[in-house]
Amino acid sequence: MNQTMKIIGVLVVLFIIAPLVIVVPMSLSTSPSLQFPPPGYWFGYYVQYFQDPSWLRPMWNSIVIALANTVLTMLLVVPATFALVRHKFWGKSLANIMMLMPMAVPHIVMAIGYYNYFGQMGIVFSKLGVVLAHTSLSVPITFLVLSANLKGFDQTLERAARSLGATPAQTFRHVTLPILKPGLMVSALFAFIQSFDETVVAIFISGRDAETLPRKMFDSIRQEADPVIAVISSLLFLIVFAALFAPLALRGIKRLSGRATSPSTTRS
Amino acid sequence: MTSYLNISGLKKDFGTFTALHDVDLDIQKGEFVTFLGPSGSGKTTTLMIIAGFEKATKGRLTIEGESISDLAPQDRNIGIVFQNYALFPHKTALDNVYFPLQMRKVKKTEGRRKAQEMLELVGLKGFEHRHPKEMSGGQQQRVALARALVFEPDLLLLDEPLGALDKNLRESMQIEIKRIQKTLGVTTIFVTHDQTEAMSMSDRIVVFSNGKIEQAGAPLEIYHKPGTRFVADFIGESNLITATITNVATRSAESALLGVMTYGDGAVDTLSGGQEVTLVLRPEHIKLSREPIAGCFSSTMTIETIVNFGDSALVIGHRDGTALRVRVPGADVVILKEGDDCYLNWTEDNVYLVTE
Repeated sequence: MNQTMKIIGVLVVLFIIAPLVIVVPMSLSTSPSLQFPPPGYWFGYYVQYFQDPSWLRPMWNSIVIALANTVLTMLLVVPATFALVRHKFWGKSLANIMMLMPMAVPHIVMAIGYYNYFGQMGIVFSKLGVVLAHTSLSVPITFLVLSANLKGFDQTLERAARSLGATPAQTFRHVTLPILKPGLMVSALFAFIQSFDETVVAIFISGRDAETLPRKMFDSIRQEADPVIAVISSLLFLIVFAALFAPLALRGIKRLSGRATSPSTTRS
Repeated sequence: MTSYLNISGLKKDFGTFTALHDVDLDIQKGEFVTFLGPSGSGKTTTLMIIAGFEKATKGRLTIEGESISDLAPQDRNIGIVFQNYALFPHKTALDNVYFPLQMRKVKKTEGRRKAQEMLELVGLKGFEHRHPKEMSGGQQQRVALARALVFEPDLLLLDEPLGALDKNLRESMQIEIKRIQKTLGVTTIFVTHDQTEAMSMSDRIVVFSNGKIEQAGAPLEIYHKPGTRFVADFIGESNLITATITNVATRSAESALLGVMTYGDGAVDTLSGGQEVTLVLRPEHIKLSREPIAGCFSSTMTIETIVNFGDSALVIGHRDGTALRVRVPGADVVILKEGDDCYLNWTEDNVYLVTE
């Protein structure tokens, strides 16, 4: 019984992650179209990708937009989260709902809204427009991650710091910020990924100048089933994978080297 | 003698609820004072006002004559040990202790040396580079104490710091805190709801109830001469007997439970006939016997429960449906059986009178 459950569990996991990893062999395929299993393997499409400006430009756009989105999102969400978690004020529950709204509204609805709204403001088809739209989409997830972290933060630590002679600013710098740092990093990462992956809004408002990578992929897959798409998918997959697991790996390395160099931490 | 810390007319309202009513207190330099009381009695509120985390609605706080009421917490130079220790999880023990010196712009080498010395004083030599989560509760407690003392505070506040420790550790920390406090001579306020802790550690106990100070005095004075019925009930165990004064000159009172009783000392001097009072009879002052003991006041009760502690036992009996408690030495308990009738014996010196 137990064994059967385990096998079923493994099969379910394999079924779910198969489409994620299937793009990797496809990107190395010699076939002129997207085909699985590949008839043969080569690196030709990787070379092609890195030599084609019509692919490199959208990637660059995506990186710039995602970075700007991350900065803007954090500037808005960090103070808002402190206010919503730590203070009581009139209209607080409404403000809480507003923060989560973009998660509930379908992206296609928001995309149409932005298309018209930004059109009248003259910022449709510009990087600025995409950054603003992506920021509002990044707010909910960033807020959720950060508020969970902040709720778990023991405010007695700040009182302790004050009693020990720290001003409010010093308390924030030496106590609050370092302790919340992992939470801040994770929420910033989510903001980045949210923008980097976003397709629907980008299709509507990024235009030619601010064309993002997912939009370019969508356009290109509609025109031709170019295996270069498999290359980009593999790269995106690896980048996100690396970003998520880098902190974990770093911590592991730190722990191992810490053990090797300072015996005092293990002495009792 | 002029006082070191002076609290006068302290009042605190939370909306319509008054948490503190006109608290006045003087604390001498180097004194170890315990704020004792049930939760919600105002002891922690008073502590938070002294620390600067709560603002008093009214009243004045001075240290050596200088008002500290308007100072921000970081400018008060008061060390605090919190209930959950509040150690900085991202800093090592040494860096936690160095923190207040860092904030005071003490040079790194000198500050770290001082922090090191303080860790040694609290018995944590060799633990400098551990993070809080790598230490036991007792060790974290010591780090918190070192951190609160390293900057030579004018006042040390301890907010129920022993609550989270197990019994044996708590007792050894009591002795340890007392030793360190004596070594440094720092004026200390200790907040607790544990009366044995208060008894064993304090120079003086301040009993709080309902936002007021019920009584302030040395531990034995509080125990033997409780000022009010609340104090008699809260500190130690008591048999509280409601009685009416019958004759002030012969110090007699009539109680429904034990008949006419003669009282010894009392919390008030001026009494009048017919006045309602409470007579306090401590369980360890009563002797149990099969026959009344000559020269004592005696009464009977039926034994209901015997609770053994090894060194002593608590005998709970009843008389006319009212419970009476007697503490007997452990050796004597073997002759007693639940369900037996026995005599209670006491002398008038054992009866203490309170009015409120």
